[in-house]
Amino acid sequence: MLLHLTRRGALALGAAATLALTTVPAFAQPAPKKGGTAVIALIQEPGSLNRFLTTQTGAILGKMVVEGLFEADEKGNYYPVLAAQIPTQANGGISADSLTVRYTLKPGIQWSDGQPLTSADYVFTFEAYANPGSAPAGDAITPAWKQIESVTAIDPLNFSVKMKQPNPGYLELFNVVLPRHKFDGPVVTNQHAQSRMPLGTGPFVVKEWRTGDAIVFARNPHYRDSGRPYLDQVVAKVIPNREVALQGLLRGEVDTLFFPVTGDLPTLLKAQKEGNPIQVAMQSSKSWVEWLWFNNADNGDAKRPHPVLGDPAVREAIDRGIDRRQIIDQVFGGLGQLTGSLLYSGWAAVDIPATPYDPAKAAQVLEAAGWKKGADGIRSRNGVRASLRFQTVSGDRTRELYQQLIQQNLKDVGIEVKIQNVPSNVLFGAYKDGGLLKRGNFDIAMSRDGYVIDPVVWAGKFTSDQIVTAEHVEGLNVMFYSNAEYDRLVGQAGSIVDPAERRKLYAQAAQRFAADRPALPLYSSAWGWAWSNRLGGVKTDHWLGIWPLAADWYVAR
Amino acid sequence: MLRYSLRRVFGSVPLLLLICAFVFALLQAAPGGPLSSSEGGGGAAEEAMSRMRQQWGLDQPAYLQFLHWLSQLLHGEWGTSFNSGQPVLQLILERLPATLQLASASLLLSILIVIPLGTAAALRKRSWIDYAITGVSISGISMPIFWLALMLLYLFSFRLGWLPSAGLGDIRASAEGWDAVAERARYLLLPVACFTLVTVASLVRFMRGSMLDTLDQDYIRTARSKGLPRRAVVGKHALRNALIPVVTMFALELPRLFLGSVVIETIFALPGVGRLFIDSVQVRDYPVLMGILVIASALVVLSNLVADLLYGWLDPRIALGKV
Repeated sequence: MLLHLTRRGALALGAAATLALTTVPAFAQPAPKKGGTAVIALIQEPGSLNRFLTTQTGAILGKMVVEGLFEADEKGNYYPVLAAQIPTQANGGISADSLTVRYTLKPGIQWSDGQPLTSADYVFTFEAYANPGSAPAGDAITPAWKQIESVTAIDPLNFSVKMKQPNPGYLELFNVVLPRHKFDGPVVTNQHAQSRMPLGTGPFVVKEWRTGDAIVFARNPHYRDSGRPYLDQVVAKVIPNREVALQGLLRGEVDTLFFPVTGDLPTLLKAQKEGNPIQVAMQSSKSWVEWLWFNNADNGDAKRPHPVLGDPAVREAIDRGIDRRQIIDQVFGGLGQLTGSLLYSGWAAVDIPATPYDPAKAAQVLEAAGWKKGADGIRSRNGVRASLRFQTVSGDRTRELYQQLIQQNLKDVGIEVKIQNVPSNVLFGAYKDGGLLKRGNFDIAMSRDGYVIDPVVWAGKFTSDQIVTAEHVEGLNVMFYSNAEYDRLVGQAGSIVDPAERRKLYAQAAQRFAADRPALPLYSSAWGWAWSNRLGGVKTDHWLGIWPLAADWYVAR
Repeated sequence: MLRYSLRRVFGSVPLLLLICAFVFALLQAAPGGPLSSSEGGGGAAEEAMSRMRQQWGLDQPAYLQFLHWLSQLLHGEWGTSFNSGQPVLQLILERLPATLQLASASLLLSILIVIPLGTAAALRKRSWIDYAITGVSISGISMPIFWLALMLLYLFSFRLGWLPSAGLGDIRASAEGWDAVAERARYLLLPVACFTLVTVASLVRFMRGSMLDTLDQDYIRTARSKGLPRRAVVGKHALRNALIPVVTMFALELPRLFLGSVVIETIFALPGVGRLFIDSVQVRDYPVLMGILVIASALVVLSNLVADLLYGWLDPRIALGKV
């Protein structure tokens, strides 16, 4: 049904989305009633809820249980949660050489079993991370952890972390903490009881996990705020069929959905408009962006430019020749946003508008660069035809739709695009397995990326020291993009801790990137949440969505 | 009879191993592994992944992994899940009740429906009853089970609101005692109906055919010509013999009920073994997959044995080795 939406329907839905966004915070605040159960329809069951060991679903739901020193709001700005304040050089939390950071805990915080949370738990968490027998692999374990040299307790509420070099990711550290008193030693693998159902300081505790059926979260009796959480229980009920889960929400069998995908949003918005008792809130900031990765080198040889895409004129023509608005309107029913920026999300976001659709200009750029149209309408220069492979993960029908739109767009300006989609492991496979990206054996590839709080890793993917070679197979720069100025800006921004200074450097780097076009942002997926009117107090201003703020939920009627 | 059965059971062990080895090889050959992520992948993950690979023994050659798994299995060690870190056997046992409830209820209902319905169709060959039963049966076979499940859900749950759509009970309020049983029955009604309908559709024609064949036999004619009442001819002489092939079919349904309920379990959100299997396939959780496959293969062997034993009871000639 998504595809049958007309442009007018799309506009109506867009309007409904805006309306939903503006009406949600306008709810009056009745005194929340205590008690009751909220049910989350969980479409995919995680293996663990411990952020130290798991990613995605488990890590996000685990946020109701285990809190970080800091959390990020919807825009990617950090605020202290278990920490008393954000350490800066001004408040003495960061040493003059930027190498030592002192973290201070809020006083009086307890684990849900009543034990006090102390700096010893943080020392232990680092020991567990550093132990070769452990297997930390969670969302919380970002590359910033690699910069830690040592963690020392100063007193029960203060600990200092010595870094190997200035660590701009110091607010990402200790997004998870392990209760020292629950472990015999620092070896933490996924077979420990804590790994699946972690102890935390958050508003809820994992009370029971019936695999395949439901995960029961109960009120934490030792939560620091005695008035909250309002609910007695939050139950994540596993409903693997998305359609059944959606209907369950509309019928009030469940209160919310973990989580609606882009394709569900038009259905949900329509259902809300038709008077079903649900709220739909669209995320206002941009989420995942679909990227077109250009191969800037010739078949994995960084020294030779790609015969077609190596010409900046071709990359510019592609940028101007794609009608991005059409993708959003025709494929996504008008939901989604456009951006032209490498850094479109997080606290360092740089606002660069998407390149406007201008096929005439695109043709003109190609003409000026010497790409002449042949008899079949495809341009060529010095015997090289402007013909490119276009690849993404096979089997994704939605993507195939806009691949065809792009194919037609580019044909109009004289560039031939051949769609040759492949399984994910062929495209993203390791160097030794002959992965197309790693080997530079592609022309244009497409995948989602870039939804980050801090740009250090993301922007670092495009520096020339990340270019993949036989000697450096773990490199991430599969575009084979190399620019000295970009390297310098990103390198510098990644080696200092002052946010204002970093923001300036990243802004320049993003401008450089947009001018060079080693990759193109296509569109940013619409993202949103839906919950039943039965539930009150739902807030969307956390980076990970409505779940980490479940302490504020209450039964409204 | 006993020697025959024992020989069959022991003869199945190498077969079981062969199946396991084959399945293991297939899993290994499938693209991706437990540590492959679909898209992206940061720089830090690589290091963690190599650590995990080591921990799980994935850096070893496939045949060593298989032999290791086999020796562990013989020591009663089923291993732990890659995905959740839980013991495999415990995971499977946790999922068993839902599957068994669904399977046994459906199987029982199917038997109760298939035998009289198939017999009735055979006795009134070419009557409107026969045509009606055959028609329903053929449309039942032709209907994809997921479609049937969604239609039942749509009608009884979403449209009429008579029955709940997902799970095994009300999450918000827990029932006690007989209320709990009644509630469970309400939640299982649609999935059981769905499963039963499909099983009945495929077996009722079999029952009809078998009964027709039997009714043509000489001994039935003899019984009739002796002047036995129709009830005795059909109920005592024909039914027992007509059941022999049908019993095989029912016995072979057992393993299908164990794993074949994937679609039903997924649509109705039942925490059964079939879904554990599919979830494990999706994350390439080898230890869990192998555990389930061993049980499933054992079940095939076992149900064949059950069929044999039932044969012996229904037709003593088979047990005595005279056929």
